[in-house]
Amino acid sequence: MKRTVIPFGPQHPVLPEPIVLDLILEDERVVDAVPTIGYIHRGLEMMVERVEYTEMGFVVERICGICSFMHGMGYCLSLETIMNVEVPDRAKWLRLIWAEISRIQSHLLWLGLGADAFGFENLFMHCWRMREEILDIFEKTTGGRVIHSVNRIGGVKRDVSDAELAAILVRLEELGKAFKKTASVFATDPSIAHRLVGVGVLSPEDALSTASVGPMARASGLATDTRLGGANLYDQIDFQPVVETAGDCLARVAVRLREVEQSIGIIRQAIDKMPKGEGLPLENRPRGNPAGEAFTRLEQPRGEVVYYVKANGTKYLERFRARTPTFANIPAMIQLVKGCELADVPNIILTIDPCISCTER
Amino acid sequence: MDRTTFLARIEEYHMGGWRLALINATSAMSTEEQPGGSFDVVWAFVKDNAFEYLREEIVPGDEVPSISASFPAAFLYENEIRELFGINVTGLNVDLGGQLYKTAKKIPFSPSAIRARLEANAAAGIASASPTPPAGPHGAAHAASSPAPTSAPTAGKTA
Amino acid sequence: MANPLTLPMVRRSLRNLVARPATRKYPYEIRPSFGGARGKIEFDVTTCNYCMLCMRRCPAEAIRVSREDRIWSIEHLRCIACNVCVEVCSKKSLSMSNQPRKPQTPADGVDGQRPGHEEWHLAAPDTTGAPCPDAETPAAKA
Repeated sequence: MKRTVIPFGPQHPVLPEPIVLDLILEDERVVDAVPTIGYIHRGLEMMVERVEYTEMGFVVERICGICSFMHGMGYCLSLETIMNVEVPDRAKWLRLIWAEISRIQSHLLWLGLGADAFGFENLFMHCWRMREEILDIFEKTTGGRVIHSVNRIGGVKRDVSDAELAAILVRLEELGKAFKKTASVFATDPSIAHRLVGVGVLSPEDALSTASVGPMARASGLATDTRLGGANLYDQIDFQPVVETAGDCLARVAVRLREVEQSIGIIRQAIDKMPKGEGLPLENRPRGNPAGEAFTRLEQPRGEVVYYVKANGTKYLERFRARTPTFANIPAMIQLVKGCELADVPNIILTIDPCISCTER
Repeated sequence: MDRTTFLARIEEYHMGGWRLALINATSAMSTEEQPGGSFDVVWAFVKDNAFEYLREEIVPGDEVPSISASFPAAFLYENEIRELFGINVTGLNVDLGGQLYKTAKKIPFSPSAIRARLEANAAAGIASASPTPPAGPHGAAHAASSPAPTSAPTAGKTA
Repeated sequence: MANPLTLPMVRRSLRNLVARPATRKYPYEIRPSFGGARGKIEFDVTTCNYCMLCMRRCPAEAIRVSREDRIWSIEHLRCIACNVCVEVCSKKSLSMSNQPRKPQTPADGVDGQRPGHEEWHLAAPDTTGAPCPDAETPAAKA
């Protein structure tokens, strides 16, 4: 049969960011896909040559506007490991709370984009309206809506008063109630099911062999969640990873829907357990220059992220590498696209929650 | 690197149900033993909450076998270290032929490219890392008379 | 499957018809910034002692300080508002305003300067410290 090559991207209505997939089609069916990335490769990893390690965290945060808090946190955790810094308790809890708030923010953003991709404009706006309130919480507590710049090596820059935390929790619980209604639309609307059920099915074996991470793997029945390792105080939180077994596009939506509610629960536990009071220490600033290397793993909204930092005893790091979840999910995405219909490609690509800025750094 | 033992250990991870987490390369500047610089390559694997890695020191021009037979997802990392570091990875299951990243400069992270950049920064008076890092795991800093700066571009070609 | 008779989205849409909109009429109605928001760097030239620490620590290389020419300048479009310069300034010459910087177009760059460029001259050690009128850009006036 005659083959047609259709370039998907770099500009496409469903793509918030540029990536190219050269789709090789037989009739309407995709038989192969060749990815090209690099349209927004900014060389942030190279900036360690010019930015001192103390300020590099603020650059690392700008890898991506959605996972920005976690990027800053992962960088600081890596250097804290290298420099043997003990972070004060309250700072650790604040980091956990902010990390979970950013997970809610990211999932709401994605759910909106997903709704937009399968043509449910109304739902898109509802998700983004809720996300706006989360961004307000961020602006109030960290000073930035998207780029927070509160993480510093050894702790956090700002405290959030106990009264404010309680108010945030009330706000989040209200939001959770409103979100339940929106979530029920995702779960029950027949037109959504028509677009997503049985599309892009990733079996558990394929999820492992393509090394997929995060909601992608959890939607295929793999209970992988870096938070289960218990680092960064997650051992004091009672939670179970959200796992779905169907492995199709709707399962990936469902994982994220349930994770929003789970994150609100985690924040509630964290606010309950964190040390209370004013003026508690927030920072334990290290002295000298780092020497050594560290691998740090975190569970970002999109999945596991691995940071590698190598320092040689000077002010400038030798290497900083962030292996972001989207980078790990691209092989799975290519596998899913092979064999599907052309019209399903946008949905499949969107359900891996691609973040191209993260992938290219 | 010892190809057979390396591939055998990769296969062990594969059979054990580990997931490939990361393949990362780090350029090490030229030393007296290794005038063209070298690469410190790490293959990292995750299983449940365990994290392990294999580490090899690669000299520019060394052949690195692809692990994509055991871990199909390795092709992205392998294409990446080939494009950004110029490491000669052979036997890839998906060869993107240098089309993964659209970088303005080819092989921006090779030791010679990094050295050239840092030396240009130093000449222009821009604060940046020193082209001759202090003694570390990859050897001592150079004396000014070291032949390394002149031999570095040659290494860039062979890489 | 949802019961189509309950029509959840229709009910919500009807409610939205009578409810207040979730959006603001932006240019006419501006939400006040939160107290601790990081908006724009402000500089007080009278207290600056030209120690250049802000320039050295700026991760975005947005700040330029020249002791010889006695110029302190910032590219607001490069600035990432990370607050590092404010924290390291020993003379408290720098502060972070919670008002966001104004959008800039290429036409805003006057005197061949980039848009968003703002600079202060300290002509002589006994100057009153007012920004040099020649170097004033729309950003400086704003």
